Order: sequence, then C-alpha cells, then structure tokens
Amino acid sequence: MTRRMKLMIAAGLGLAALAGGTAYAFVYQADAAGQLRATGLVGEQSDGYLGLVGSASADIRSQVDAVNIQRRAYYTDLASRRSATIEEVAAATACTLFATRVGPGQYYRLPDGVWRRRNGSEPVPRPDHCG
Amino acid sequence: MRCWARISAVLLAPALLAGCVEVTAPERPIEINLNINIRQEVVVSLREDVRDLIERNPGVF
Repeated sequence: MTRRMKLMIAAGLGLAALAGGTAYAFVYQADAAGQLRATGLVGEQSDGYLGLVGSASADIRSQVDAVNIQRRAYYTDLASRRSATIEEVAAATACTLFATRVGPGQYYRLPDGVWRRRNGSEPVPRPDHCG
Repeated sequence: MRCWARISAVLLAPALLAGCVEVTAPERPIEINLNINIRQEVVVSLREDVRDLIERNPGVF
C-alpha cells in the first residue's frame, strides 16, 4: 500500500467519524425540548421557558437549563433586532409554543403559576398577553 | 439636535429624558415570577419572527 493510499483511507475514516458525530448531535438536538415535554416532568411556561413540573433528577434539570440557555440566546438576538425586550420576545414565543408545541397530556403553566395538564386534544388556553 | 444633546447628558440629568421617547433604560430587574409586564402590541408584531424562530430551531422549542 502506498503512503498516499494510506493517507486517503485515514482521511476517509476521519470524515466518516465526523459525519457520524454530527448526525448523532443532530438527532439529540432535533427534539430535545419535545422529548423533555413528553416526559411529563417538564412543561412550557408563559414566560417562554421550560419549567420543572415537580421535582426532577439532576439530569433532567441540566437538560432543561441547557434548552433555556439556548432559548434566552435566541430571544436576546431577536429582541435586539426588533427593538423589543428579551421578556417580550420570550412571552411572544410562549404564545406560539402554547398553541403548537404542548401536546395532549403535556404540561403548561400560565401566569397564575399553576401547572395544568392539557386534556386530550383540547386547545391550551393562551396567556392574556397573547392578545 | 437639541434632543441628542439631552441624551448625552443622560447620566447627569435623567429627568431630561422625558422629551426623548426612544431612549429606554438599558437594564431591567430580573423577573422571578411569571407576571411580567408585556406590551401586547409588541407581542403581536413579533408573531412572524417568532414562528420562524421556532421552526428553524426545533430542538430548542
């Protein structure tokens, strides 16, 4: 085997490993928030962030924190581009999340602070600020 | 412009801000409850942006 062939094989293996890693990261990222909501331990809040419905493991808590940190970064970016506050962007996002992302049997929390479970396919009530 | 002169004096004389509507406080206290003060017209104006944001980042939303 020539040196050049060896190099090509090594490069190919490297690329394959990279692609595999990226694919895995994508699968994990693709539905992180949805999977957390589906556990029933995590719900959507009217402030635009995920919240813990009851007590949860450190693992769940850290996953919720990770999602919320990313959300805050997106909210901050959009707020700066639209002359709105981060809280307003977050609350506006909650309106759409309540309407489209809280599945049957999943939890949501209105400004009254009470966790409620969506009953079947009944619509989730929208926070007052949604208009 | 007179208004800009007032903005430059904002640190010394915050009361003068009354005439410059666009200037807002840079920092807000961190809200710890869910009853945040939200301008409804802003929420409505953000609707399209928010929909795009959610659709482009399914893992986060």
